Amino acid sequence: MFDLKKAMKAAASGMDAQSFRLRILGENLANADTPGFQRKTVSFVNEINRLTGASQVRPDQVTLDQSDPRESYDPGHPMANERGLVTYSNVNPLIELADAREAQRSYQANLSIFDQARRMHAGTLDLLRR
Amino acid sequence: MFEELSLVRMASAMARHATARHSVIAENVANADTPGYRARDVKAFSEYVNEPFTPQATRPGHMAFGAQGGGLNVEKIFDPMSQASGNGNAVSLESEMLKSVEAQGQHALATTIYRKVHDLMRMGLGRGG
Repeated sequence: MFDLKKAMKAAASGMDAQSFRLRILGENLANADTPGFQRKTVSFVNEINRLTGASQVRPDQVTLDQSDPRESYDPGHPMANERGLVTYSNVNPLIELADAREAQRSYQANLSIFDQARRMHAGTLDLLRR
Repeated sequence: MFEELSLVRMASAMARHATARHSVIAENVANADTPGYRARDVKAFSEYVNEPFTPQATRPGHMAFGAQGGGLNVEKIFDPMSQASGNGNAVSLESEMLKSVEAQGQHALATTIYRKVHDLMRMGLGRGG
């Protein structure tokens, strides 16, 4: 029973981390056209829960992508520089969407593990019936 | 009283092994995107049963068997079949899913055996199966 609880906790931490990742991706996508916005990236770290001994996952420090921003030539734009270039963000929506799909898949995997643990738990409790 | 039956004891050890393995698999899946994480696994239940010196097969309160809060003392091993990807992570979601279904099936088998033994005893007591 204790092990199933550990499994549920690990799966829940995984879902938590993936939804955090999805939130960061959403922020990036929302700011894709914000001038000067830097894309945020998140990584995960493995962490041992001292109480349960389960190895869980949590999001690491959010870092800023230092790659060059997208520039477009638009001399009439109010934010254009002396060369007529407007600086936008360094967000590539295609990459963000692919990453979001990956986060979704990982979330689903964690969810199905959680569901399996729940079913196993229910199966054990079912022994008490009749 | 039930623990005296070797069939029941085996079924309960099997269920405990299945849950322990499932929790290790859950940790693997949760860390499927953690850089540098390597997938772990638990030895198969048959290996525990077939070990030449198996204190767990003879006496429930023995050494590795249920010493810590009734949990099976499972040994975590690194999966030799896993291949690390670019960020050093070696978790394959597909194989983890497969393993988790295996663990679930093993648990279902153990609980079914337990239930059947229970049914047999009820039948023996004359209360219907």
